[in-house]
Amino acid sequence: MFQKLLPSLSLALILTTTLTLSATSAMAQSNPLFTAFGEKAGIMQLVEDFHLRLLADARMAPHFKPVNAKNIKEQLTDQFCAVMGGPCVYKGADMKSAHSNLDIKKSDFNALVEVLQAAMDARGIPFSAQNQLLAKLAPMHRDVITVD
Amino acid sequence: MALCSVLLSTTAAQADTGKLLLTGGVSAISGAAGGGLTPWAVIGTNATRGELGFSAFATSASTQDYGLNVVGAALAYNERFEVSVARQDFDAGVAIALNGIAPFGITPGQHLLMDVLGLKVKLAGDAVLDSDTFMPQIAIGLEHKTVSPGSLGSVLNFLGTKTSGTDVYLSATKLFLAQGLLVNGTLRYTNANQNGLLGFGSAAPGKDGYSLMPELSVAYLLNKNWAIGAEYRAKPNNLQALGRAAGLGEALSEDDWKDIFVAWAPNKNLSVTLAYVDLGRIVPGVTAGRSQTGYYLSAQMAF
Repeated sequence: MFQKLLPSLSLALILTTTLTLSATSAMAQSNPLFTAFGEKAGIMQLVEDFHLRLLADARMAPHFKPVNAKNIKEQLTDQFCAVMGGPCVYKGADMKSAHSNLDIKKSDFNALVEVLQAAMDARGIPFSAQNQLLAKLAPMHRDVITVD
Repeated sequence: MALCSVLLSTTAAQADTGKLLLTGGVSAISGAAGGGLTPWAVIGTNATRGELGFSAFATSASTQDYGLNVVGAALAYNERFEVSVARQDFDAGVAIALNGIAPFGITPGQHLLMDVLGLKVKLAGDAVLDSDTFMPQIAIGLEHKTVSPGSLGSVLNFLGTKTSGTDVYLSATKLFLAQGLLVNGTLRYTNANQNGLLGFGSAAPGKDGYSLMPELSVAYLLNKNWAIGAEYRAKPNNLQALGRAAGLGEALSEDDWKDIFVAWAPNKNLSVTLAYVDLGRIVPGVTAGRSQTGYYLSAQMAF
């Protein structure tokens, strides 16, 4: 009986692995935006550089210095990956709750976008791909900006 | 450590300007923020919500028979209100040929000067950030124009045109961010002839009243610093009927304006626009019916 089970299990394992692999690569293949950003690894590197630039920016540093670096980088990575339709789940707080007790003006929002653009430029992300990501993030201004 | 200090000093030296590059438009010849020929719904300068901004521009355009130089400035507050002024200097020297039709007494090298006072109020929407909806940014505005014709005043009297008028307009502007494509539609209520340079309205049987004129701009963002586009501006052609009735044929006909342009913004404070303009016929009676085509060059500083 074991002799019959082992080949079936192996076959099942091979099939599952193949299906998962092709699903992942299919997801990457059918998601040119996700690919343009270098998939999850690329997004992690982008966020790493983005975070450094935020801390170095005179306008943004006061907002980001008090925030736990590891957490924010994880959340940004998951969020960017998810809005691009990548295989990630954003587990952080919604934009409104995350920002409601902060003083964020429109100029702050615009400054963050500028810093993100600089980080994307540094990684050679094509202009069109940059704008596609920004197009997904821009509507968040309604929940992020707290000062009218 | 050293790298951090360099980064800090670089960012601290940047001007604290609120808007994203090229999203304030350039300066139209009327002084309003928008395309070169048309006011858009965007509020100009670099000021965003809660800020006060300033911009100034100079424009020069030249066609076969005419030249136009414009200087102006704008003040913007809270990304809601925009006040602009512009002084248009139109070289109409070729109009001296009108002395051959009647003793108008036009002096050589006559220029028409026109002052434009613009007011614009944003009503709704955000042209850039509302990228999850088709909702555009909407603004209403007015352009109060006063023309000083000099020795061409006798011509304007003959045409029965007034020397001042107020255009009222409604603009809707949207940047389709994912596609990098900006579209603007403007409806202008006007009785201006050639933008106002040939006065406002007309003696009968020309059209003296106001008409609703459509205007359209499209701009494609090539990259962060460059955009290309095209504009179209319909004109009321008020004087055509008057010209025909006076036995002058198409001498006073007016055509729609069009252009294709390229805009360059190396940073947030400077933008330069180069365009090829087709202004159609301008007083074709003295220009052998030629279509006025040529270049347009404009530079704007914004803070």
